[in-house]
Amino acid sequence: MADRGLRTPLARARGLGSAKDGTHHFWVQRLTAVALIPLTIWFALSIASLATADQAGVQAWMKSPLSATLMLSFLLAGFWHMKLGLQVVIEDYIHTEATKITCLIVNNLISIFLALAATLAVLKMLLGS
Amino acid sequence: MADAYAIEDHVYDVVVVGAGGSGLRATMGAAQAGLKTACISKVFPTRSHTVAAQGGIAASLGNMGQDDWRWHMYDTVKGSDWLGDQDAIEYMCREAPRAVLELEHMGLPFSRTEEGKIYQRAFGGMTTNYGEGIAQRTCAAADRTGHAILHTLYQQSLRYDTDFFIEYFALDLLMDDDGVCRGVMAWDLETGTIHRFRAHMVILATGGYGRTYFSCTSAHTCTGDGNAMMLRAGLPLQDMEFVQFHPTGIYGAGCLITEGVRGEGGFLVNSEGERFMERYAPSAKDLASRDVVSRSMTIEIREGRGVGPNKDHILLHLDHLDPAIIEERLPGISESARIFAGVDVTKEAVPVLPTVHYNMGGIQTNYHGEVVTLKDGDPDAIVPGLMAVGEAACVSVHGANRLGSNSLIDLVVFGRAAGLRAAEVVTAGAPHPDLSSSMDDAIMGHFDKIRHASGGTSTAEIRDKMQRTMQNNCAVFRTGEVLDEGVKLIDEIWQMMPDLGVSDRSLIWNSDLVESLELDNLLRQAVVTMHGAAIREESRGGHAREDFPDRDDDNWMKHTLAWFQDDGTVKVDYRPVHDYTLTDDVEYFPPKARVY
Amino acid sequence: MVEFNLPANSRIKGGTTHKAAAGAKNLRSFQVYRYDPDSGENPRVDTYEVDMDECGPMVLDALIKIKNEIDPTVTFRRSCREGICGSCAMNIDGTNTLACTKSCDDVKGDVKIYPLPHLEVIKDLVGDLSNFYAQYASIKPWLVAQSPAPPDGERLQSEEERRLIDGLYECILCACCSTSCPSYWWNSDRYLGPAILLQAYRWLIDSRDEIQGERLDQLEDPFRLYRCHTIMNCTNTCPKSLNPAKAIAEIKKMMVQRQV
Repeated sequence: MADRGLRTPLARARGLGSAKDGTHHFWVQRLTAVALIPLTIWFALSIASLATADQAGVQAWMKSPLSATLMLSFLLAGFWHMKLGLQVVIEDYIHTEATKITCLIVNNLISIFLALAATLAVLKMLLGS
Repeated sequence: MADAYAIEDHVYDVVVVGAGGSGLRATMGAAQAGLKTACISKVFPTRSHTVAAQGGIAASLGNMGQDDWRWHMYDTVKGSDWLGDQDAIEYMCREAPRAVLELEHMGLPFSRTEEGKIYQRAFGGMTTNYGEGIAQRTCAAADRTGHAILHTLYQQSLRYDTDFFIEYFALDLLMDDDGVCRGVMAWDLETGTIHRFRAHMVILATGGYGRTYFSCTSAHTCTGDGNAMMLRAGLPLQDMEFVQFHPTGIYGAGCLITEGVRGEGGFLVNSEGERFMERYAPSAKDLASRDVVSRSMTIEIREGRGVGPNKDHILLHLDHLDPAIIEERLPGISESARIFAGVDVTKEAVPVLPTVHYNMGGIQTNYHGEVVTLKDGDPDAIVPGLMAVGEAACVSVHGANRLGSNSLIDLVVFGRAAGLRAAEVVTAGAPHPDLSSSMDDAIMGHFDKIRHASGGTSTAEIRDKMQRTMQNNCAVFRTGEVLDEGVKLIDEIWQMMPDLGVSDRSLIWNSDLVESLELDNLLRQAVVTMHGAAIREESRGGHAREDFPDRDDDNWMKHTLAWFQDDGTVKVDYRPVHDYTLTDDVEYFPPKARVY
Repeated sequence: MVEFNLPANSRIKGGTTHKAAAGAKNLRSFQVYRYDPDSGENPRVDTYEVDMDECGPMVLDALIKIKNEIDPTVTFRRSCREGICGSCAMNIDGTNTLACTKSCDDVKGDVKIYPLPHLEVIKDLVGDLSNFYAQYASIKPWLVAQSPAPPDGERLQSEEERRLIDGLYECILCACCSTSCPSYWWNSDRYLGPAILLQAYRWLIDSRDEIQGERLDQLEDPFRLYRCHTIMNCTNTCPKSLNPAKAIAEIKKMMVQRQV
């Protein structure tokens, strides 16, 4: 108990107050989860059907606007969902404030970086010659 | 002796001891009056035994048919077998509707009628028009009314500025040489420190002492600590011989099955399948008052019509009721019966037995909650600085027998009254006089003696002997012979206390020491209870003497006052019963034969 | 980081075994967690043999028998012994429950009795619940209504409206659910936990209360509410068969409802 100082239990329980936030996180995580169910099935089937295709075949497939849109949706929903999920894991288990903030920043930046890189790859295949 | 313990001082206007229904209500009242108030409790407030009350709280709201507080008053007077003080009974019954509505306004989740009003059920001894019909007067939150009340009052207590001292065990009152109460000493279990609470008013809300008996519906913590503090302070207790046996404690476990079961249509049968209450109480039947039903059950068992292999209990049927009604209105006892009797109440009867449930006796007070005593011929001499409320108190509204659902209304009405009175007699922030250290020495000496007791008999052994003696010699039916034997035995058990041995010497959460201090408290009360019962040669309410089967108003229409003296002997004197009402709105109900 | 291993001063050492008197036939062993704050020594587990022919059916009966007859220093909270006061909540046979309503027959093998998990232990089976109680106070568990109550009557509530509080108001604050929740173990300083959220919901859906929105505002927080990961330990362990997980789901639904 010593590490909690001499504040009353009520003062500690009230802490910094409500962040009045979290519902958006909760909602988007559910939304991306739901979106990822058909998208993942589509992705798995597409990969399976392209299993024997060469690079040109795959590129041709990606040139279809439908494929590219679905691919982008899958990747963005996936990375967004990953970012939200990892954030929860970090908040759950890491209690050293500095480490936690660092991890949250890294999680955000890596997720954005990966999402951008993946988007660029799809666009390149869609628009490239 | 006090030097051996570092004593931490606290200064308050009002200190309430106990955080059950009455303690929380009194705390709230005092705090709202702007008095600096503390509440000390040996358990977290929602663990107090009010939580176990089931059936409901009586108030003549008239939600389920016409009702009048005068009818409620008449029923209470009759239930008390005319030992209740009618001024106090008038006050309680008159204030009851307001007190219940106040609880509802606080958010208490009462069950509802179709119109959205508070649901009320029938209860034993509650009638309309002075005994003519059956009243539905008992306001209920399913069968968890006590739980709902206690939690609601605790929730309210979080709203206003009161200091709670939780898991503090109150040791003794600080009584000065003029007989004025100046505060209370307590032991903090968590840190093991001793605290002196100085106050202009101490309100004892410490509950009953059911645990003097072997089998009771009371919690393990119902040890009447406030009553014992009174006795140690050289003050008497009133009407301690009146102990209520609840007709329906679960056979074996002793857990309570609410009278509300009978209020909803349940009934008792003997081994011949007979609804025997029809014989004993032709009009009220199973809804006669508790003393009557308990005696009838005991007679049935004695005459060989008990059920079970040993023919030693009775069956309570509710299996004829609609399961939907049981689920909605009696869910708690369905659970209790399943866990403690292995019975599905929708299909089978519950095995029950009269079980010690409530102490009508306690700390004599006026209807404001102020403690009174017999002093220089004045039976209503106020003990300054001291109040008592709830089961600990003997106002006396319950007289010789309490009606079901009158205890919860007693808690809130007199808890509130005590708060109001404190606001009148205490000046907020008034300075406290110096206290002599001899007070601390006496209290800490007693504490230290028990803490270091190193005799050969354990707390559990002495407690077991006391509980069995009370169970055998001070039961539903009593005779001079059995009571005289009981007096001899209980005095002998008191004499065992110097040989008490306590194993744990710690000060932090030393539950062995807590139980030993509680045993000292219980035993004093057991002694005055047994002596009082042996002396009262009549039958009235909960005190049924086979050698004196009738009520004797000429000689015994009076309250017993019993002092427990330092040498272990008991001194007895009497206070008159108040044979007047508070106002002219109702006339005194003169004694008459009590038939249900 | 979360501590997955016990700190050094919490590691349990071997304890004493108290044998039953010879001649007892129906023996049962009770392994009881002991911690003595005065010595400050590491906790230990003492074993007590109890003759079940001479003992009541519940685990609390056995603990009381042990305290009365074998070792008066064993310390635990208890009061009503009928499952309504919530004092004797402890971890029995790996599950949080009330000792007074847990039958010894429901446990196979030795009966292992520990304090509620992840509380600071004060002594033996007595844990420190001050944070739990403070969290309860923090949600304003009382009726707030600006409209004046009728002076001579109750605030009306229909039977249907009243039924919404069933399964919620019965909570006895025993803390079995909260202390069974891993999310509460890791974040009890910020996450309110199932018991308190159940109580929060009890006030959110009370038809007489007038500050639903403010109550939701106070709960809308990544930690206070959203640490619930639907693990369901709370509902599985509740000795009163309540369903805190459902109450929390309902709160989350309300949160979304007021945004979409």
